[in-house]
Amino acid sequence: MFTLGSVLDNDFKSTIEDFSFETEFSTNQLMLPNIEKPFEFAQSIIGLEKDLQENENQLMFHQQKKEERKERALIKGYKGTTTLAFIYEKGTVVAVDSRATSGQYIASQSVQKVVPVNEYMLGTLAGGAADCQFFLAHLGRICNLYELRNNEKISVAAASKLLNNILYSYRNYGLSVGSMICGYDTRGPQLYYIDSDGSRLKNSLFSVGSGSPFAYGVLDAGYRWDLSKEEALDLGRRAICAATFKDSYSGGTVKVYHIDENGWVKISDDDASELWYRYEEKEKKKK
Amino acid sequence: MDSLVGFVGKNYVLIAGDTNAGRSIMRLKDDFDKLVPIDSHKILAKSGEIGDGNQFCNLIIRNVSLYRIRNETELTTKSVAHYTRRQLATAIRKNPYSVNLLLGGYDKKDQKGSLYYLDYLGSSKKINYGAQGYAALFVGSILDRFWKEDLDFEDGLELMKKCLREVEKRLIIGTRCFLIKMINSDGISVVEKVMINSKNKNEIEEEN
Repeated sequence: MFTLGSVLDNDFKSTIEDFSFETEFSTNQLMLPNIEKPFEFAQSIIGLEKDLQENENQLMFHQQKKEERKERALIKGYKGTTTLAFIYEKGTVVAVDSRATSGQYIASQSVQKVVPVNEYMLGTLAGGAADCQFFLAHLGRICNLYELRNNEKISVAAASKLLNNILYSYRNYGLSVGSMICGYDTRGPQLYYIDSDGSRLKNSLFSVGSGSPFAYGVLDAGYRWDLSKEEALDLGRRAICAATFKDSYSGGTVKVYHIDENGWVKISDDDASELWYRYEEKEKKKK
Repeated sequence: MDSLVGFVGKNYVLIAGDTNAGRSIMRLKDDFDKLVPIDSHKILAKSGEIGDGNQFCNLIIRNVSLYRIRNETELTTKSVAHYTRRQLATAIRKNPYSVNLLLGGYDKKDQKGSLYYLDYLGSSKKINYGAQGYAALFVGSILDRFWKEDLDFEDGLELMKKCLREVEKRLIIGTRCFLIKMINSDGISVVEKVMINSKNKNEIEEEN
């Protein structure tokens, strides 16, 4: 009888490989225990002395709250940052902060949270810095290969889908990626949100990171499709500034980028704290 | 957090879903279409994790297309439901897809609509009316009370709005905006994109 086959049937494998991007990174080769959620298992590994104590008192261990266990886990994940991007009539605006934290310690105030994928596409970093940097650089490689093979620029939708598929195959492995793929292609300004859980969303504005609720407040209040370029850049800058003011895990400098049909351009790079007081003075002068 | 409601009427199937897509407490997108067309006469309404939903629905859609290309024949709703259930069941012990689905379709051969309830654990049941998500708690009793066999389209739409009004009123997580789609012999059509504001004396504003 006729049976439904999966797409990678033997008949089709050769043709699929021509168009697929099966590299050594697309298939799972991380050595982790062969269980359903390896990262959660890893998080449950608490320090040895404490482990012995827990074994004596199994009931207490199970009654312990998930947050407490996470606190003491040997493997932790962080998502301290604020990044935002939005599309409007004339292009795409991307604004980010530049602070990296490791618990309560500020590891760096000058992190590059925007990674160029190609001349007209940018990817933002939120979550695990190493994960984001690696996968975005890899996406840049894939997009370059696509351009060479197909003699046309890859669309933002396709690039984001490629990243989405790769991240989906690693979805239970504890990667932490909250990236936005922003660009300008033949369909106009485009913006996609890609997550390490495997979600891919298309919308006109996103903000990602621990400071995102604060950024959303300013962004939602001032956003319109028909902003002028100056207004749009100012909105992005102010939203990140507001987030760095409220969120302790965001700060450093506020970097603003603009993408239009000519490609991406870095517009400004201002110290977040100075920026806040500059805005305050401006408001005072207005009065 | 996703709400899906569906029921079968006289020669049609009505399915409605909320249009929120979010992450923990934040709403990322408020015009997210959860009612994905499998082919011209079937809809897969997805709820649960966004990533799993996207990938799983893509898997089903592409395989149904492949079957159509290979065998030059469309699958019935029953076959698609069985295939989907099988995919969910084989995945549950390996890499589970956390998606709960409502599959609605119209079969030209039987000239009847049908609705299936599919679970992430691999359960599947043909139903006349049902819901997924928190909406199921509120809407279940309304549908038990008011659903009848062979409802006309106008009565059906009124019943659907009654259900959605209840979801908006009682579910503490704000879902005001719903998308209602209908499947009948002509195929899939968007009936309405409804925004419900129960403070306005139970009036519904319609956005088309």
